[in-house]
Amino acid sequence: MKATKLIFIMMPLSIFLAFMWAPPAEILGESSRIIYFHVPLAWGSVLAFVYSGIVSILFLADKKGKYTLLDERAYNSAGIGMVFTILAIISGAIWAKMSWGSYWNWDPRQTSITILMLIYIAYFSLHSALKDNESKGRICCSYLIFAMITVPLFIFIIPRMYPSLHPDPIINPERKLKLNAQMRTVLMISLFSFTLLYFYLLNLMNRISFIDNKYKEKYYEE
Amino acid sequence: MTDTNFEIRADSLSKRFNKTLLFKGLSFSIKTGNSLSLTGPNGSGKSTLMQILAYIQKPTRGSVTFFQNEKKLEENDINRYIGFTSPLLNPYEELTGYENIYFVLRNKKDEAKILPLMEEFLLIKHKDKSLKYYSSGMKQRLKFICAVINDPPILFFDEPGTNLDRKGKDLIYSYIESVKKEKIIVIATNEEEEIRLCREDIKIAQ
Amino acid sequence: MLSEIFRNLRKDFRVEFRNRAAINISIAFAGITTLAISLTAGGVSFSPRVQSIMLWIIMFFSAMNGLAHIFIREEEERTSLFLRLNSSLESVFLSKLLFNFIFFLILQVVICPLYIFFLQVDVKSPLLFLLILVSGGIAISSSTTILGAMVSKAGGKGSLFTVISFPILLPVLWIAITSTTDALEKRASAGFGNTLFFLAFSGVIISISFLLFKYIWVE
Repeated sequence: MKATKLIFIMMPLSIFLAFMWAPPAEILGESSRIIYFHVPLAWGSVLAFVYSGIVSILFLADKKGKYTLLDERAYNSAGIGMVFTILAIISGAIWAKMSWGSYWNWDPRQTSITILMLIYIAYFSLHSALKDNESKGRICCSYLIFAMITVPLFIFIIPRMYPSLHPDPIINPERKLKLNAQMRTVLMISLFSFTLLYFYLLNLMNRISFIDNKYKEKYYEE
Repeated sequence: MTDTNFEIRADSLSKRFNKTLLFKGLSFSIKTGNSLSLTGPNGSGKSTLMQILAYIQKPTRGSVTFFQNEKKLEENDINRYIGFTSPLLNPYEELTGYENIYFVLRNKKDEAKILPLMEEFLLIKHKDKSLKYYSSGMKQRLKFICAVINDPPILFFDEPGTNLDRKGKDLIYSYIESVKKEKIIVIATNEEEEIRLCREDIKIAQ
Repeated sequence: MLSEIFRNLRKDFRVEFRNRAAINISIAFAGITTLAISLTAGGVSFSPRVQSIMLWIIMFFSAMNGLAHIFIREEEERTSLFLRLNSSLESVFLSKLLFNFIFFLILQVVICPLYIFFLQVDVKSPLLFLLILVSGGIAISSSTTILGAMVSKAGGKGSLFTVISFPILLPVLWIAITSTTDALEKRASAGFGNTLFFLAFSGVIISISFLLFKYIWVE
């Protein structure tokens, strides 16, 4: 995946644009710039989760062993997802303090990202508890799939449970955006860069897993 | 039973446990009427090989296939055709001997077969005792009954003589002797007597 | 197939009830927490919302001891191989699922009267209350059955089970708590729809578990 090398141009560009080019939002002021990092991070955490889930399905379905190390890939993706999730929660909390006056108030989106984090934590606990078990890959992948199927249910439930303070869904194009064209461009560029960052990191980690696996195979053959 | 022929084919089996390679490239086949002993020093992978043959573990490489009259058997159905004893196999401690056998019994119409078998293996007095109070020799005989009660065409025994006294050994050896013509029998063992029961032998070197 | 499930279920009940530790501990835990809440509250009555939160939290945590136990026991006593060789995958899963249903029901039968008695709960709509309890119980026990199987392979570490089942059970707990509040305050309207949600949820969960079970149970 040579294309992910683009990250070295895109990331500095989006940081530059976020701080220098985009105008501050009307009411929120300069603090609104966090949006260019918070939204892409949240998007990345969901992307990583979905990727892990799909790879897990592939892993269980792949009886002939056409792909290698799919469970490791799911694990790597979840690792990046976990970091993205934590960063999204922190940046979100800072933003919440700036605009709503408190770090945490169980807004639906805060709730859903917390649940995502709980799932990641559960997954990693299970993963570490299964350390030397031969069926570790299968059990962990099953858990991810199982979790992925219950997550959409939250989307129906959470809005009914809590009133929202969040700005209108930003990714949803039907709703009215409070961003002007310039801000929207920066946000899109930033979303793109963070997606790239995700794939770049994933690619790196997968390569490490491959090398590690190859090394082990060689080592044990002898 | 005698007119159906079963065959187990093992094709270049290898098994690796983390760091140690147990065996590599084992290929053989056994047919109904034949018996095979797996021998080798402790830790050489006898039990592992047997578990791979019985589909309990997966080999690292290679495959095991079962055939009934040259027709391949489905992996999910294989449990129905095999009987298995092993030190790793533990019946329910909370149940009585009779209940354990009844649990294993596939066709409940055969319930009448339980008592004669318990009689044969000298467990009839203990049939209503919970397994907690069984001695290890009694448990071994009970496990043996559990393996053979459904009259499966393929039998796997991992060290069938462990914990048994002379009398107990004679009982199970004569049972194996009496059925071995119409079944496939695989024994993992290092006991001379048990090896002599079998027609062929596979030695696993360390 | 059906007879196999019953055979397994009967075995599970025999084994569990001859060695009652797990069930006794769950029930004792439930009783003690209920008493503890009542004692420390010292007669102060809670709002319906708080009452239903506590009711479900008690049920959740007391069930955690028992729901995974049915699989953990097979691994601890090393009987899982015996079970695997002698019964089909499907019958193992379905019998354990049924066992967990019944186990949760028993637990509720113990907890709810105690809870109502000690905390002066006034149930305004008993029918809805009952329906929510039963369907919520089904939803919880059906989602935890496969999680129990996963945990048992990880050496049955007790708190791991709570950690991995909590995010999955959150929607169930949420809805159960809101609907129970409704039942206590007699705002029955949405509550009956939620019973249907629970049954649909259980249906989805059971079918997914059924598909995934073979990857967990067979080594």
